[in-house]
Amino acid sequence: MTTTATTATTTPRTTTTVDRRLAPIPGDRPTRGVPFHRLLRVELRKMLDTRAGRWLLIGIGVVIAGVLTILFVQDGGEHPLGDYLQATFMPMAILLPIVGILAVTSEWSQRTGLVTFTLEPRRLRVTWAKVTAALAVGVAAVAVSYTLGVAAHAAAIAFRGVEGDWTMDGLALTGAAGYVLLGMGQGLGFAMLLRNTPAAIVTYFVLPTAWTILGGLVSWVESAAEWLDLNRTMEPLFTGSLTTEQWAQLGASVGVWVVLPLAVGMWLLTRAEVK
Amino acid sequence: MITVERLTKRYGDFTALDDISFAARPGLVTGFLGPNGAGKTTAMRVIGGLTPATSGTATVLGTSYGHLPNPGRHVGLLLDASAQHAGRTGREVLTLGAMLMGVDRGRVAELLDLVGLSEKESRRRVRHYSLGMRQRLGIAHALLGDPEVLVLDEPANGLDPAGIRWMRDLLRGIADRGGTVLLSSHLLNEIERVADEIIVIGHGRIVAHGTTGELLAGAGTLVRSDDDAALRTQLMRRGAEAEHLPTGGLRVALDPGEVGRAALDAGVALTELRAGDGRGLEEMFLELTADSAREEVAA
Repeated sequence: MTTTATTATTTPRTTTTVDRRLAPIPGDRPTRGVPFHRLLRVELRKMLDTRAGRWLLIGIGVVIAGVLTILFVQDGGEHPLGDYLQATFMPMAILLPIVGILAVTSEWSQRTGLVTFTLEPRRLRVTWAKVTAALAVGVAAVAVSYTLGVAAHAAAIAFRGVEGDWTMDGLALTGAAGYVLLGMGQGLGFAMLLRNTPAAIVTYFVLPTAWTILGGLVSWVESAAEWLDLNRTMEPLFTGSLTTEQWAQLGASVGVWVVLPLAVGMWLLTRAEVK
Repeated sequence: MITVERLTKRYGDFTALDDISFAARPGLVTGFLGPNGAGKTTAMRVIGGLTPATSGTATVLGTSYGHLPNPGRHVGLLLDASAQHAGRTGREVLTLGAMLMGVDRGRVAELLDLVGLSEKESRRRVRHYSLGMRQRLGIAHALLGDPEVLVLDEPANGLDPAGIRWMRDLLRGIADRGGTVLLSSHLLNEIERVADEIIVIGHGRIVAHGTTGELLAGAGTLVRSDDDAALRTQLMRRGAEAEHLPTGGLRVALDPGEVGRAALDAGVALTELRAGDGRGLEEMFLELTADSAREEVAA
């Protein structure tokens, strides 16, 4: 009995390599396009499934953890909540737009566009999926960073026995979130315009700063900068209150640095040859 | 079904495609043959909607590629196996494709198995793949949506002989089930073994187009005999063209049966008689290659 059992289990192994034909997918072929939520899910996943994307997010996390640790230790952890929030917030606001830039430029630099734009030839839909995915990552990151800031502040109160200062302006929180999202929009816009990773990253960081420096040196640039320097027009967002003129200035600068690059970038992207 | 009509693509002064028209039909493997830089890739990129045409049209399944709903489920494209994110794993590349097309994820494993990428290999990043492995991954990606049309640019590049044979059987099987297969190559013997129809392209123009049998038969018959000169006279009398080959023997623009009958009439004993081995096609092809090679040197 035992002998038959052994032969029966050992025989099939050698005879299974003959038919390797692929089974067809049952059912009719689709007559409807790819729904947007599927494009969005794929684009979100693409931001996180490469080493570059993952390490970028891990890097932001590490920087935030480092800054929080410093606050926690320094001056016995005696800082208002606002300081904690700013500590978690600034590294993210600076680095997160790179995630958006890479989402666009990698299609060209890694040449994945060849696949992406043949699976969905309506390129604007892909582009909107990228914008939506990047903003979703931005919102999630803002939420995580606020949570970390609050947790660190609470921990300082609990473990270091500090007084604690929970006062926080709700509008300033929203303004700060807006700052991150506008930064991501700007990064996406530059990425679509240039479709080249180093060029887009360098332009994103250098151009607005150069503008700020120039504004401090030349007087007529100075007055233009009040309306066009994004670094300056976004500043009131953190104080939580904007005058009508400040809103107009913010709108003008966002139009020039975010909306215009996005619009022209999208237009170019639908026409560019995918190499 | 792929239909290309009067397609022209210019880059400034350079004409990559010059008024080409052809069709790749269901049930057949159509081979796109031409030296590097002949325009094969450009034509395929226009078909896939990645490069806009200067004039003319390319349609797939009766519509332009850009209008296909969920194109991955209709057309499988492999335009460049190296065009994958180096930091993504092979399995992840297929998973993303399956998600987008709305295909069951279980198919990813089936395809990895079909193209012979092991479980372990599939979890490595594409950066570490050999060209052959990238090619297999690309073919798997092209087949992911169970397409009825396949467009493959130089799919045999980097595959070992066993892999090339495997791919040949695979493409044959797809065409036999009614699929349309268009593949390109710069190697004649690779194309002639799998293609039912061959389109020869050079300098952006179609220089020959026909069934593989026709194009290869164009080479006529090779014959050797005890007295080639007498045989040649007899053949010329019948109005057939016959030329002496430098290696001895004749090449005749007739089928072997007629050459045999001519030899019988002439009373010349044959020592060898066989259908031409496509040397006509090969020579035409070599000429194209030589032209472009010279241009490269000049440039």
